[in-house]
Amino acid sequence: MISDAVRSKLRELVGAPHFLDSLEDRIAYSYDATLQEALPDAVVYPGTVEEIAAILRLANDVRFAVTPRGAGTGLSGGSIPVVGGLVMVLTRLNRIEEISADDLYAVVEPGVITADFAAAVAKHRLLYPPDPASQTVSTMGGNVAENSGGLRGLKYGVTKHYILALEAVTPQGDVLRTGATTVKCVTGYDLTQLLVGSEGTLAVVTKIWCKLVPMPEHKESMLAIFGDVDDAARTVAAIIRSGVIPATLEFLDHVTINAVEDFKKIGLPREAEAILLIETDGQRSAAEAEAEKVMAVCRENRAQTIQKAANEDERTQLWQARRGALSSLARIRPTTILEDATVPRSRVPDMVRGVREIAQRHRLIIGNFGHAGDGNLHPTVLTDVRDKEEYARAEKAIDEIFELALSLGGTLSGEHGIGSAKARYLRREIGPVGLDVMRRIKRAFDPNDILNPGKMELEEQG
Amino acid sequence: MSNSSFILHPSSLEEIFRCMKCGNCREVCPVFLETGREGMVARGRVQLLKAMLENRLDLSDGLRDRIYACLNCNACHVTCPCGIEVDELIHASRVAMLRAGKPLPDGHKLLRERILGEQNPFGQKQSERGAWLPEKYRKPRPSPVVLHAGCAISYANNRVGKMVLAILESAGADFMMMGDEEQCCGDPILRMGDVAGAEAQRRRTVEAYRKWGVETIVTGCAGCLKMFKRYYTGQLEKLSDMSDPSDSSEPSDSLDASDLSVSYRTHDFRVLHTLEWFAQLIAEGRLTPKQTLAKRIAYLDGCDIGRHSGVYDAPRQVLRAIPAVQLIEFPAHHESSRCCGGPLMASDPAMAASIASKRVREALDAGAEMIAVACPTCFINLKEGANRLGVRMDIQDVTALLHRSLR
Repeated sequence: MISDAVRSKLRELVGAPHFLDSLEDRIAYSYDATLQEALPDAVVYPGTVEEIAAILRLANDVRFAVTPRGAGTGLSGGSIPVVGGLVMVLTRLNRIEEISADDLYAVVEPGVITADFAAAVAKHRLLYPPDPASQTVSTMGGNVAENSGGLRGLKYGVTKHYILALEAVTPQGDVLRTGATTVKCVTGYDLTQLLVGSEGTLAVVTKIWCKLVPMPEHKESMLAIFGDVDDAARTVAAIIRSGVIPATLEFLDHVTINAVEDFKKIGLPREAEAILLIETDGQRSAAEAEAEKVMAVCRENRAQTIQKAANEDERTQLWQARRGALSSLARIRPTTILEDATVPRSRVPDMVRGVREIAQRHRLIIGNFGHAGDGNLHPTVLTDVRDKEEYARAEKAIDEIFELALSLGGTLSGEHGIGSAKARYLRREIGPVGLDVMRRIKRAFDPNDILNPGKMELEEQG
Repeated sequence: MSNSSFILHPSSLEEIFRCMKCGNCREVCPVFLETGREGMVARGRVQLLKAMLENRLDLSDGLRDRIYACLNCNACHVTCPCGIEVDELIHASRVAMLRAGKPLPDGHKLLRERILGEQNPFGQKQSERGAWLPEKYRKPRPSPVVLHAGCAISYANNRVGKMVLAILESAGADFMMMGDEEQCCGDPILRMGDVAGAEAQRRRTVEAYRKWGVETIVTGCAGCLKMFKRYYTGQLEKLSDMSDPSDSSEPSDSLDASDLSVSYRTHDFRVLHTLEWFAQLIAEGRLTPKQTLAKRIAYLDGCDIGRHSGVYDAPRQVLRAIPAVQLIEFPAHHESSRCCGGPLMASDPAMAASIASKRVREALDAGAEMIAVACPTCFINLKEGANRLGVRMDIQDVTALLHRSLR
């Protein structure tokens, strides 16, 4: 428990209005978007890098845990204060400091909301591509910590591909600068890429230099409906083989299609086994030509219907199915567990079939949808955590889904992160040497284990 | 304070349970966007209620204050992937808190006394309610249509009320008014969680309207509209179910115990906003706007008339009928419209003005010269917002714009 003396010090550091330790506030910062919860002792909202450095120095001296937090919408437990201590909310650092259209970069503070940032650069006809589904509420700092993905991942990559440089405060309270704003840089170890995806366990990011790309001139959106999942899966591979990398290549399975139709009634055929939502973008002639190719591939692979949007309104219509996927599924049962196991694209059909078999065997409702183009699907288990018997089956099913992904040469997490939710599988995927190296890096940065402890199995086991 | 005395309807418990903590509500909650505090957004409030139900938190003042700080705008519900009925849950929680013996926050007590007493929130006399009305409307008479003025128009803004009368009369519309006998619809009472008081208001009003043969209720007050459409028609049945007939705010007069089979709880009044009636009259050619108004006007979908009552088209139809009006949309409009912050005017005027200033900023950025509203609360609070922003922005009631163009 953080002592009264330390509480006074923290209050003094950030100002009383930015220090919270009522039980109500502690509860409000004890959760993220997973089922896990843990109470912090207190919560602070620092306003400057200096305050953050002072807080970490204090934590390191006194030895209390600090868990950084953005919006707290993560899907792997990364922002949950599992050992208590202090939650440090970064949302007051919310300025977009600079947008350079000439040098194609921008500088943002970690509390900036991703969609707000994307909208700001769009005014300059620039694109910040990573678009996680939570982008209207999640923060750039959170995205960096979790290396967030999104629907554009296949063509444009993920957060890590867009981080040029970082400013971060170490657990000792020192301010570290990594990377450079130039297009290329090979000066020393690539500490920028080490910090991206480190889930707030190595340093607290306080400034982010992001790469931008020109906004594509034109976009084509298509929806293809299939009577057979294998046809859809083959289409995904065939599109890539035809030389087209679409900006978006999303998949919805039979369970998801029916959930969407139950809830939104948009006229999707209920017998459909799969839907692909595809977008091409770029110069107008290129986007159009690629779209033609995509549609031809869909037809060759027995797509039953293909619709192409003729304008913005029609585009919105086509997108309804994908946009409504999670909310439609979430209405089926009270507890929604959104998973993230990712496989190589060529193994998507096996993954889809495998998840369906797991669902049948465990008598569960599992909707599968997501980024088929990069193999990152989101098997979503619908259950009720109060039904102990069913929930036990759900947990088993999730374990099997992880095993399935790994056995297909995949990974536990395409974009949500490991945190505490998947920590127990980490060794299985990265092996004992990998885990040992990670632990040594963690110790080098944070010898007193004060920064976001209890995540990713970074503590030494006996 | 014992948690076991806090009793929610089972369907409300289920709503709490369904929250998947995605945090989408953080995008749209006006109070959260001002404070940045998780305890001041739907997710935080739902999780705090859950903590209390699981005995991890007492029925504390901190919990109560956060539940009462909600604007009831329900923008969170629209963006919630699970479709949680947050507004209903907040209402139910306030009811349950009062029933568990938790005192009302300061400021609400006085409001409650005023409304249950003199039938208005302003501390004025019931006998003065109809003073602004021409003689023919000061007493009820049999009529299928009643025009319900509401407290705001009766006591705070009868200027717009008089325009409503002038417009309806010019179209030859027939209606009666309760005049001095009109009662408060009870919305502020329900909103603070006093469901017994709200039930009493509802019962008296419904019985009075039935007595005079009313089939259609028309009102220019968005809050009353919401109350009549939602609560009076029994849509918030679970709140009514939480009412305890032995509560002291039930009227001891009027109905006997057998009537507590609550025939007043189901009825089929048609409920319209005055703008819906105006739109109809315009379509029928009984009202013809003539004078031009060459302005770029942004219409703000107030929460009570819009999200809560589903009336989005009529105000726009009326505005479009005025020659030369250029109608602009706010960036978030219709079901996604953002609250002006008005419900906090009494308890937190600085916050209310700050939220309103965001709406004014949005209107300015959209190129609007004027903001048109259909709600007395939006009308007042947006002016505060413009002041706070230090800008000139014309705020007008749609009725006033129509009235002007009919002359």
